[in-house]
Amino acid sequence: MEIRMNPDPIVVDFLVIGGGISGLQAGITAAEAGLDTLILEKADTRRSGNGCGGNDHFMCYLPEYHGDDFEAVMREAKETLVGGNQDDNLFRFMLERSADLIRKWESYGIRMRPTGDWNFEGHAMPGRRRYHLKYDGSDQKARLTAAAKKAGAKIMNKVVVNEILVNGEGRFVGAIGIGIRDEVPEMLVFQAKAGLIAVGEAMRMYPGNNPAYMFNTSHCPANAGSGAAMALRAGARLVNLDLPSRHAGPKYFTRSGKGTWIGALTDINGKLVGPFVDDIHVSRELPDPTGDVWKDCFVKNMDSGKGPVYMNCTGISEEDLAHMRKALVSEGCTSINEYLDQYGIDLRKSMIEFGQYEHMFYMNGIDIDDRAMSTVPGLYASGQSVGNVRGDITAAAVFGDHAASCAAAYVQTVPDFDVAALGDAISEKAALYNFLLREEPGAHWKEANSTLQKIMDEYVGTRIRSGSLLTAGRKYIRDLRKYSREKLRAENAHELMRCLEVLDLLDLAEACAVSALDRKETRGAYHRRSDFPFTNPLLNNKFQTVRRKGDDLETEFRERVR
Amino acid sequence: MPPVVDSELCIVCGKCVEICPLDVMKKKDDRIIVMYPDECWHCRACVMDCPKEAIRMRYPLSHMLLHYDAPRA
Repeated sequence: MEIRMNPDPIVVDFLVIGGGISGLQAGITAAEAGLDTLILEKADTRRSGNGCGGNDHFMCYLPEYHGDDFEAVMREAKETLVGGNQDDNLFRFMLERSADLIRKWESYGIRMRPTGDWNFEGHAMPGRRRYHLKYDGSDQKARLTAAAKKAGAKIMNKVVVNEILVNGEGRFVGAIGIGIRDEVPEMLVFQAKAGLIAVGEAMRMYPGNNPAYMFNTSHCPANAGSGAAMALRAGARLVNLDLPSRHAGPKYFTRSGKGTWIGALTDINGKLVGPFVDDIHVSRELPDPTGDVWKDCFVKNMDSGKGPVYMNCTGISEEDLAHMRKALVSEGCTSINEYLDQYGIDLRKSMIEFGQYEHMFYMNGIDIDDRAMSTVPGLYASGQSVGNVRGDITAAAVFGDHAASCAAAYVQTVPDFDVAALGDAISEKAALYNFLLREEPGAHWKEANSTLQKIMDEYVGTRIRSGSLLTAGRKYIRDLRKYSREKLRAENAHELMRCLEVLDLLDLAEACAVSALDRKETRGAYHRRSDFPFTNPLLNNKFQTVRRKGDDLETEFRERVR
Repeated sequence: MPPVVDSELCIVCGKCVEICPLDVMKKKDDRIIVMYPDECWHCRACVMDCPKEAIRMRYPLSHMLLHYDAPRA
């Protein structure tokens, strides 16, 4: 099979890669600012990615709720589960802009006050103000898609973007995409003055709960680190790849949404695991925050033999139980609800075991500045592929909006660049696609993906790391990438997408190994170096960055921005 | 095979093929085929958006939700 070539580049002002929350928000804002805007989405913007079924927490600062002391808000908000390694200026900006985005979302018809008033629930700490607005995002993707179209943004679904195009000056000028709607894929070239990477994180990098089901992941398994990988190949700097984070939730049925559950974490005898609540009779006002604070309590309790750890909802009221089941719908977890019903599991009697999920590059990715621009001029990034600000839905919305506003000013300052001048780079990619689509037998993408997961788990793991493990791991990743490039084969457009996702994961995996190798200390629960078993105060507030240098990678610490 | 399509109810409109985030479903020979069942994320987009309620979700045994009876208070 040969890829169909679309000979004419599609020319726009602003190219948005990824039609999730961030990409759609950017599309709306850019189109409203008058930019000719095109959103590219590999699935369908109405139901793609992490937000496909919904979300229910929008972290924010609402002056009428939180008061006027913004500095106090900053201090507290940084101590919530999303306040970790990030540049303070970006976190501050996100909180400052959050109320505006909430108003915008209400204008799109998203129910930000499903109970009628501002309601803050979940991810809460005793005695503290709450920062997670409880909203109903069950139709958010459809609403954002409608708003983007209304604003005049164009959307192309079923287009996988695989490469960023930069000109001789290293400036963003376009991208290469692949249409996967039909069995025979179509190669598309895009030309734009500015571009935004707004794709998801890197699921499928580490092994999940069940080796046979690679797509049993907490966040959408279509997210394969492609944003950060493409940015790296385009010359952009990535950040914080050395410091993993891990989510938790129902064991074996891997699904995010821990903060939506109302219950207490207990052991098998019903004894509380953490100190934050008095007993299992918790309410929606203050569910047990132990899992937010003691993030590795699930692993620690299993390793020590004290486990398992259960989400115990047996002490909550009937009203709160009904409320929680409804909130699981808002959060997009309708499958958890359906599973409970299909199997007759009664949360008033049964406790649900929770477990730790694998690292998924949640706060590890593209390094952006205060304009949401990467180190490649004209290439912006927002949402889950960014490595230096985290705020989940809020960050996705705020920085999508901000990147679009900044891009509207930027495009006025740069001349058009005809991507036809990049014929060699485009031909090289076409050759790769056609090689993968060749007739002769070859390796299935799952062979490479599962082996990568094994290597990452054992050599770039989240339990123990060392110079020897990371050095060997990097070598094995490079070998696997070489073999993958020589052996992978795709039967059709769908498999071509998966093959390219694996190649993206491999690029990101190597950058991760190198970043971890050069952080010669132990930091946090998951970067534990047996050869440097201490935390070095000289590395406090130092972010590890990595960028491509020829065929090699170069790391460098930078100061965290205050 | 996680999404199960009832061919009696299905009108082959292709909505599920369009919206599946994982590109799991395909339209072939005027039928909807669950082509890549092990790539299903069980998000239920196809179930929720099917205009004929022709799709139901079967949860594989690999996704067993581990649970245990709470001790009596």
